Amino acid sequence: MEEYDVVVVGAGPGGSMAAFTAAGLGLETVFLERGRKPGDKNSSGCGLGQRWWRDFPEIMGELPGLPSYRKVEMVVINLVDEDNRLRMRSGTTGSDLDATRWPHGMEGASVYRSCLDPFLAKRATDEGAELRTATLASDVIMDDGRVAGIVTDAGERIGAKVVIAADGAMSTMARASGMRNRWGAGCTLVPQLDFGCDEGKLDDVIGNAEWCWFGPFYGAYQVNFREGFHLGAGQWLRRDWDTRPVDMLKRVMAIPAFQAMTRAVDARPREYQAHLLPWMEKPAKSFSAGLMLVGDAAGFPCPLEGEGVWHACTSGRIAAETAAYAIRKGDFSERTLSEYERRWRASSLGLEHEFGREFVELWDNSAFDPEKMGRQIQLLLELSMLNPFSICFDWGDAHMECLNMHLSHFLDMLPEFGEFGGRYIKPFARGISPGNVRRMLCMMKPRLPALRRLSDERYLWLLARFSRSLRPYLEGREGE
Amino acid sequence: MEEMKIDLKKLVKRVGETGEFITCDESRCDGCGRCADACSMGLWAVSGGKARLSPRYTELCLECAACWEICEREAVDFHYPRGGTGVVIEYG
Ligand SMILES: Cc1cc2nc3c(=O)[nH]c(=O)nc-3n(C[C@H](O)[C@H](O)[C@H](O)COP(=O)(O)OP(=O)(O)OC[C@H]3O[C@@H](n4cnc5c(N)ncnc54)[C@H](O)[C@@H]3O)c2cc1C
Repeated sequence: MEEYDVVVVGAGPGGSMAAFTAAGLGLETVFLERGRKPGDKNSSGCGLGQRWWRDFPEIMGELPGLPSYRKVEMVVINLVDEDNRLRMRSGTTGSDLDATRWPHGMEGASVYRSCLDPFLAKRATDEGAELRTATLASDVIMDDGRVAGIVTDAGERIGAKVVIAADGAMSTMARASGMRNRWGAGCTLVPQLDFGCDEGKLDDVIGNAEWCWFGPFYGAYQVNFREGFHLGAGQWLRRDWDTRPVDMLKRVMAIPAFQAMTRAVDARPREYQAHLLPWMEKPAKSFSAGLMLVGDAAGFPCPLEGEGVWHACTSGRIAAETAAYAIRKGDFSERTLSEYERRWRASSLGLEHEFGREFVELWDNSAFDPEKMGRQIQLLLELSMLNPFSICFDWGDAHMECLNMHLSHFLDMLPEFGEFGGRYIKPFARGISPGNVRRMLCMMKPRLPALRRLSDERYLWLLARFSRSLRPYLEGREGE
Repeated sequence: MEEMKIDLKKLVKRVGETGEFITCDESRCDGCGRCADACSMGLWAVSGGKARLSPRYTELCLECAACWEICEREAVDFHYPRGGTGVVIEYG
């Protein structure tokens, strides 16, 4: 039987990052992929956020060289009413604060998995890890209560000191080792349609942006690539599941504004995919004797937005470092590998999940109630118009950290709002004569319950006491 | 407005011979039909109080495993097909 230090199952982002890290630490590493090549089996948004610049700058720097790459600088949100009419379209590139947080500001990327996965796998093989494709790991080898290797579907047995399972949401390794069966709760299904379109027209109509659609059908995302885009929408696979997956997408495709966009970029449906995405309040147990689970296999995707590629890479890296630690110790017991959980909890990945329950509830209390959600999204969009913070596409840090940062920035800005009014709202009134200002204010009076009984004179006097900007119009000697 | 026609079968590519990879344990199945709701390709149907899987599933299944995940009775057993066979995603 062949023996390695580390066998990694799966060459998705989590597996390739684990293999890259393990090989870099000098461990004999093999990673297995059931597809003919990495990416063959994978479906994802696939938008990558700003924290990539902090944690994986060497990867972000190379992405523009991949054929499907599109730079992302803003998210544009389309809000649709009950009659499928576009109610609001809004996007922001973020505030001045956002621009200084990471070396590249709020810049992110979108790239197809058929580009990203082979690129990440090649980094691992360049580092010395061995890749075997078209190889399905179908079982684990157990030795004295610990996972000690894997068995392939061709019956080949590969021994390992540590097995890292990066085999996605339906983790064969988690099942075979007895760690768990189906998720039971918290797993979503995400149907996704890929559209091919005209690159130049996509540049003109959409540019460097991701789009989202919100309306009575919940929400859907539109991730834009060099010459195509994804339309996708997920839903928890639970008792109240009541629709054919593709019907979720058809509801967006029925929106006239969506159809107008597809005509403008010459879009045509090119590929249909359906994929599980764990969207959990908290991750599953992530280790047992001889085994660590990374990425979707452990239920790591972000509980607020289902982002999971960064989470897979981050946990893959920590798992490989923990494998090196266990191998140095010569101890692969559950106790030693619990170090893995200690480490990921202490990282930004752990922080993301401390508020998992609240994030998941947030969806249940908003998006699943179309009436509430419509108003909530509108409010958020209107607030972001003041440009104090970017509410959307902040994948710069654990969400609770982002939220706190935006909130304190917002509070810092409160004193400036008066100035904002003076600078941006007052100029609208510049051409109006004082007489007409008085007349317009008096027209408003009947609609103000607290003031409508006052005489015009008393009412205007009161307004002059309260508003410094109105005072010159109301008290000044400037005639009409 | 002209509606965009979607024929899912034309929007999926696949290679090789997968062999069998999904089974349904009839003694566990209570015919609730949620596997049928969750399947994009309409490969499950309930008849005679039991879920029945289309015999053509190896040519049509997307390998998403939703039927396995949604089955509370754990009647559906799903495993990935043989390495190097099945669905190929080019624009994922
Ligand atoms: C439709 C959709 C949209 C998403 N959008 C985004 C997004 O925009 N941004 C984002 O960051 N995240 C997004 N996510 C989440 C993200 O795609 C996942 O969290 C991420 O891919 C997890 O990476 P992974 O390496 O853990 O698993 P996977 O990407 O699932 O990789 C697992 C790999 O293991 C292989 N494999 C599985 N079993 C075996 C086996 N037994 N033997 C050998 N090989 C095996 C698979 O073929 C695959 O290559 C999205 C997910 C979905 C489904």
